[in-house]
Amino acid sequence: MNADNRKGELVELKNQLRQLAGSRAPGVEDVKRELYKKVISYMTIGIDVSSLFGEMVMCSATSDLVLKKMCYLYVGNYARGHPDLALLTINFLQKDCHDEDPMIRGLALRSLCSLRVMNLVEYLVGPLHAGLKDSNGYVRTVAAMGVLKLYHISPSSCTDNDFPATLKTQLLQDSDAQVVANCLCALQEIYLAEASRSDGSLKDRDSLYTTSVIYLLINRIKDFSEWAQCLVLDVVSKYVSSNPEESFKMMDILEDRLQHANSAVVLATIKVFLHLTLSMADIHQQVYERIKAPLLTLVSSGSVEQSYAVISHLHLLVLRAPTVFASEYKHFYCRYSDPSYVKKLKLEMLTAIANESNTYEIVTELCEYAANVDVAIARESIRAVGKIALQQYDVNAIVDRLLQFLEMEKDYVTAETLVLVKDLLRKYPQWSHDCIAVVGNVSSKNVTEPKAKAALVWMLGEYAYDMLDAPYVLEGFVENWAEEESAEVRLELLTAVTKIFFKRPPESIKMLGAALAAGLADAHQDVHDRALLYYRLLQQGVEIAERVVNPPKQAVSVFADTQSSEIRDRIFDEFNSLAVVYQEPSYMFLDKEHRGPIELTEDTGILPMDSKLSDDVLPSQHVEANDNDLLLSASEREESRGGVGNGSYAYSGPDLSGFDTPSPAAPSNNASLSSTSHTSPAIDDLLGLTFPAAPVPTSPSLKLKPKPLLDPATFQRKWSQLTIASTLDHTLSQPAALPSPQPLLRHMQAHSIECMASGGQAPKFKFFFFAQVADSPPSTGFFLVEFVVNTSSGISQAKVKADNADLVTAFGNLFVSTLRKFGSS
Amino acid sequence: MPVAASAIYFLNLRGDVLINRMYRDDVGGNMVDAFRTHIMQTKDLGTCPVRQIGGCSFLYMRISNVYIVTVVSTNANAACAFKFVVEAVALFKSYFGGAFDEDAIRNNFVLIYELLDEIMDFGYPQNLSPEILKLYITQEGVRSPFSSKPQDSRPPANATLQVTGAVGWRREGLVYKKNEVFLDIVESVNLLMSQKGTTLRCDVTGKILMKCFLSGMPDLKLGLNDKIGLEKEAQVKARPSRSGKTIELDDVTFHQCVNLTRFNTEKTVSFVPPDGEFELMKYRITEGINLPFRVLPSIKELGRTRMEVNVKVKSVFGAKMFALGVVVKVPVPKNTAKANFQVTAGKAKYNAALDCLVWKVRKFPGQTELTMSAEVELISTMVEKKSWTRPPIQMEFQVPMFTASGLRVRFLKVWEKSGYNTVEWVRYITRAGSYEIRC
Repeated sequence: MNADNRKGELVELKNQLRQLAGSRAPGVEDVKRELYKKVISYMTIGIDVSSLFGEMVMCSATSDLVLKKMCYLYVGNYARGHPDLALLTINFLQKDCHDEDPMIRGLALRSLCSLRVMNLVEYLVGPLHAGLKDSNGYVRTVAAMGVLKLYHISPSSCTDNDFPATLKTQLLQDSDAQVVANCLCALQEIYLAEASRSDGSLKDRDSLYTTSVIYLLINRIKDFSEWAQCLVLDVVSKYVSSNPEESFKMMDILEDRLQHANSAVVLATIKVFLHLTLSMADIHQQVYERIKAPLLTLVSSGSVEQSYAVISHLHLLVLRAPTVFASEYKHFYCRYSDPSYVKKLKLEMLTAIANESNTYEIVTELCEYAANVDVAIARESIRAVGKIALQQYDVNAIVDRLLQFLEMEKDYVTAETLVLVKDLLRKYPQWSHDCIAVVGNVSSKNVTEPKAKAALVWMLGEYAYDMLDAPYVLEGFVENWAEEESAEVRLELLTAVTKIFFKRPPESIKMLGAALAAGLADAHQDVHDRALLYYRLLQQGVEIAERVVNPPKQAVSVFADTQSSEIRDRIFDEFNSLAVVYQEPSYMFLDKEHRGPIELTEDTGILPMDSKLSDDVLPSQHVEANDNDLLLSASEREESRGGVGNGSYAYSGPDLSGFDTPSPAAPSNNASLSSTSHTSPAIDDLLGLTFPAAPVPTSPSLKLKPKPLLDPATFQRKWSQLTIASTLDHTLSQPAALPSPQPLLRHMQAHSIECMASGGQAPKFKFFFFAQVADSPPSTGFFLVEFVVNTSSGISQAKVKADNADLVTAFGNLFVSTLRKFGSS
Repeated sequence: MPVAASAIYFLNLRGDVLINRMYRDDVGGNMVDAFRTHIMQTKDLGTCPVRQIGGCSFLYMRISNVYIVTVVSTNANAACAFKFVVEAVALFKSYFGGAFDEDAIRNNFVLIYELLDEIMDFGYPQNLSPEILKLYITQEGVRSPFSSKPQDSRPPANATLQVTGAVGWRREGLVYKKNEVFLDIVESVNLLMSQKGTTLRCDVTGKILMKCFLSGMPDLKLGLNDKIGLEKEAQVKARPSRSGKTIELDDVTFHQCVNLTRFNTEKTVSFVPPDGEFELMKYRITEGINLPFRVLPSIKELGRTRMEVNVKVKSVFGAKMFALGVVVKVPVPKNTAKANFQVTAGKAKYNAALDCLVWKVRKFPGQTELTMSAEVELISTMVEKKSWTRPPIQMEFQVPMFTASGLRVRFLKVWEKSGYNTVEWVRYITRAGSYEIRC
C-alpha cells in the first residue's frame, strides 16, 4: 500500500465516522465498531491515525462498552501528542467517572489518568479523590494506581493534594486486598522517587516497613492475588525483625507459601526466609534445607524461560551454600534438550557442589558432556572438570580423565584441556611427569587456538628437561612467527624460548636469536617491548636474566576468584530480581552514571577485545622510529664504554647475527654485567611490572588542561574524522580492583582525563575518554581515547586520536602512566 | 518491585508487531526495533531469554509462532514477569478457545487490547483470573452484569470481591443437571541412563488435572496413597493404615484454591474448586519409580561406511496394559546415506532432518520385548576421521492407566449443602518427559 492510497483510506474513514457521529439509526453501533477496529489496527501496525482524533471523539458518545474501550485506547495513545485535542475528551471521561456502573467509572478513571498530558492535571485531582472513596473496590484499585500515574506526570500536584497520605490510610484500612496491594506499590514508588528528589532520606519509605504495616500484610496474605502476594512478600523481606521469636512467627505464617504453584510467589517467600534468618547461622542453614525441595520442583516445571529464572536463583544459592545441595547433584545433570544457557548454569552448580563423596559421579557425568555436540558446552564442562581438580578432590583420578581428553583428538577438547593442564601444573607441579608424557604426544599442528597454543608453549618452556623434543617443537613455532596472529602466543613464545635457553643453551641459542629478532621487529607493542626487555636482560648477563625470567616458582595455591564476595552479597540482597539473572548488582545495569552519558549504540556486550584489531591499525612508523632510537642508544652506550663488552659473547647492538657464534656464556660476560648494571635505570623500572616499557619520551612533557570541556556531538564528529594515531596495550596490575567502572573514571578525572561515555558489563568495559592540552584554545588540542578493558584479565587497549598528531606519543605515555598509577594508588 | 513492565509486545516470527501495549513512559517507542536488531536478527536469538540492551531489559519467550517481549527499565522480578506472560496467554486461550498463534491474535486483537488493559495497570499485574474477567469482559458489548438490572445500581457485595480477585476462583449460583468431576493424573517420567544401563537420574513430575461440573459451592477432599497423608490418617484414626504401596512425594504445589494451612496441619487436600478445568496440584517424586520401558541399545561402527544398530525395547508394565504412540529415536551420523531395517513390530525409517532412525510402534503391549535392527550405510567423507559423538537415544510414549510413581487416588469426597450425588471419574496416564538413554 503506498502513501497516497493510505491517505485516501484515512479520508474515507474520516468521512464515514463523521456521518455516523450524530446518527441514531439501528445497527449503527455495529458499523462504528468495524470502523473503530480498522482504526485501532492501523494504529497497531504503526500508521499515524491521529488525524481522525476529532471524529473518533465525536463518535464516542455511546453506551457500547467495547466501543468506549476502543475509543479510550485510541485517545490514550494520541493524547500526548495532541494535548489540545485531548481536552475534548476530558468532558466525556469526567462524565463517565460518575456513571452508575462501577466498571465504567473505573475504566474512565484509568483512561483519564493515562492521558499523560501536563496541562490536564487539574482535571485529574477531583475524580481521583472521588475514586479513592468509591464504594466499589474496582474503582478504588484503579484510583490507587491513578495516583501513581499522576505522580509521574506531576509530582508536585500529587503531593500537594496529599495523595500519599490518603493512600497510606487506604493501605491500612481498605477491605479490598487488591486496593491494598495497589496502594502499596504506588507508595513504594512515590516514596522512593521523593527521596531521590529531595534530601535523599528514605524515612517515608521506611515507614512502610514498620511492624504494624508488615503484620497487617502478613495476616492478610491469603486474601491477596498471587501477583499481589509477590509484592507483599517483597515488602516483608525488607522488614528487619526485632527478635528471633518474631522471625519464627512470621515464617510460620508464611511457610505454606512455599507450596504455591506460582514460582514468583515461592521465590519471594524464599527471599523473606533467607533475609529474616541472616543473623541466625544455624536457622539460616535450616532454611536452605527447607527451600531445597520447592526450588527443585520449580526448576522442573513450567516453560524453559520460567525454569531459567528459577535456575538463576538456585545457582546463586548453590554457590552460597554448596554443601546443602551436594546430595542433590543428580538434579543438576543436563538434559540433552536443555538450552545451553541452562546447561551452563547447571555445569557451574555441579562444579560448586563437588565434594569427596560425589566427585567421581560428577566428573564422570561432566566427561560425558565433553563429547557433547554443543561445542560451547563441551568446553564449559572440560573447564568444570579442571575447576574441580583445582578444588583438590581426588586429583589423581581427575588428572587421568583430563589426559584422556587429550586422546579424544578433537581440536576444541584438546585446546581446553591444554589450558587446564597448564593451570593444574601451576598448582600441582608434582604431576608434571604424568602430564608431560601425554602433552608431549599432542601434535602442535592440532593446536590452533591462541590460549591453548600459549599453554602448550608455556609447558614446553617450563618442562624443557622432561620433554626431549621441546626445543625442536618451539623452533617450529618460531619459524612460523610471521603467521602467528595472536600476540598472546608470541609473548609466551619469547618467554619459553628464553627459558629453554637457560636450560638447554646449545640446542636453543640459534632459536633464541631468531625469536628475539622477530620480536624486536614485531608490530605489536607488547611483543616488541618484551623482546627488548629480554634482549637487554641477556645483555646484563645470563644469570641475571635467568633470575628475572625464570626464578624458582612457588606453586599457586588459590587462583583468583573472578567475582568478589562483596558483589555476591549485593546480588543476594537483590534476590528475586534481574540482578540474579545477570549475575551483577542492579547498579551495574540500571544507574545511568554506570552506563555513561551517551548510550553506546553498538552492543556493548560484545566488545572487540581481539588483539588482531590493534595489529591492523597500528601505526608501525611510530614504533619503528622509537625502536631505532632505543637500539641505537643501547649500542652507542656500549660503544662509548669502549672495549668493556668486547667478550666473545657479542650482544653488540641491533645486528643480531651475533647470535650465530655458538658460544656458552663466557666469563667475560660478568665484566660487562657489572659495568652496565648501573647504566640503565630504565630497565630496572620495567622489572617489577608486567606491562611493556613506555618508550623514552621523545617530546617535552605534556600538560593537560585540568577541566577540559567537550560536548558529545563534537566528540562524535571528531572521532569519526580523525584516524587512530596510536594504539596502546596495557595490563592493569590489579585487575580485580575494578568491579565497576566508577573508580577508574574518578582516577582518570583526577589526572585531567575526562570520560565522555562508558559501557559494557563485567568483565569487559569500554570507555571514551578525552583530554585537552593545557593553554590550547577551545576546541583544539584534544585527545580522544577509546579504552577497552577486561577486568578479569586486566588486559586493556587504548586507541588514541588527536587533533595534534605530534603530541600523541607524549599523551600515550601520560595515559599509560596514569593507568599504571591506578592499580597502585 | 514485582514487574513494573514498561511495555509488552507481541511479534510474529518476522518481527512485525501484532499487538503492543505501552504501560509506562520510561522507555522509548523504538524498543521493538532494538529487540529486532539486537536479538531477533542475530544468532543470539534463543541463547538467553533475558537480555539487556541500552539500559532496558528484554524478557522474551516464544509461544507457537509468536514472540512475547516484556520490556522493563527497572530491576524487575524475572520469575514474575515470565509467569505473568504464561498466565496471560492461558487467559487469551480461554477466551478464544484453543490455539494461541499469530492468526488468533489478528482475529481477536480488540479483545486482547481489552484484556491487556485489565490484567496490568501501569506495569503491575492486576487480575488474571479467567473466571472473574469473563464476568465483565465479554466482547458482547453489553454493559457489565452489575448494571444488567438497571434498577439495582449497587452490585452485590460478593460480586465486588469477585471482580477484585479476593475470592478469586468461583462464582456462586452455578447449577448443573448432572454433577460430575473428572480427575486426570498425568505423570511425565524423566530418565537419564548411562551406556552401561545404570540410572544416572530419574524422576517423575506429575500433575492432577481436574474438570469440575458441580453445582453450588462444594467442598472437596482428595485422598492419595502418599506416605505422609496415610501416616497422618493412621494417627488420627488410631488404626494401622492399610497395607499396600505408599508413595513419598518429594514436593507438592497446589492451586490457590487448596487450603494450605489445612494441608500442613492435617495433611489433607481440601478445596472449593473453580468451575471447569484447572490444575489442582503438581508433585515431584524421585524414589521408587517404575520405569515403563527398558532400552538395550547396541551400536557398532563397522569401518568407515557402515554401522550396525540394534535396539531392544522391553515393556515392564502389566501385561493387560499397553502403551500408545511409542517412538524411539536413535541418532545416526550426519553422513548417513540410507538404512535397512528389520523390526518385530511397528515401522522404522531414517529421518535425515533429525539425523535419526525413527521407530514407531502404535500400540505396545505390556511385558513384551520388541527389537529393531538396522544396517546403516554412511557416505565416506574426505575429512579425516573424527570420532562421532553420539547423542542419546530418545523415547516418547504414553501409557494409560499406569503411573510410574505408583500414585493412586484413594478417595475424592464432595460435600455440598444441598447434598446432591456426584459422579467421579479418575484416569491415569504416564508420558515420557525427557527419556534419554546414552549409547
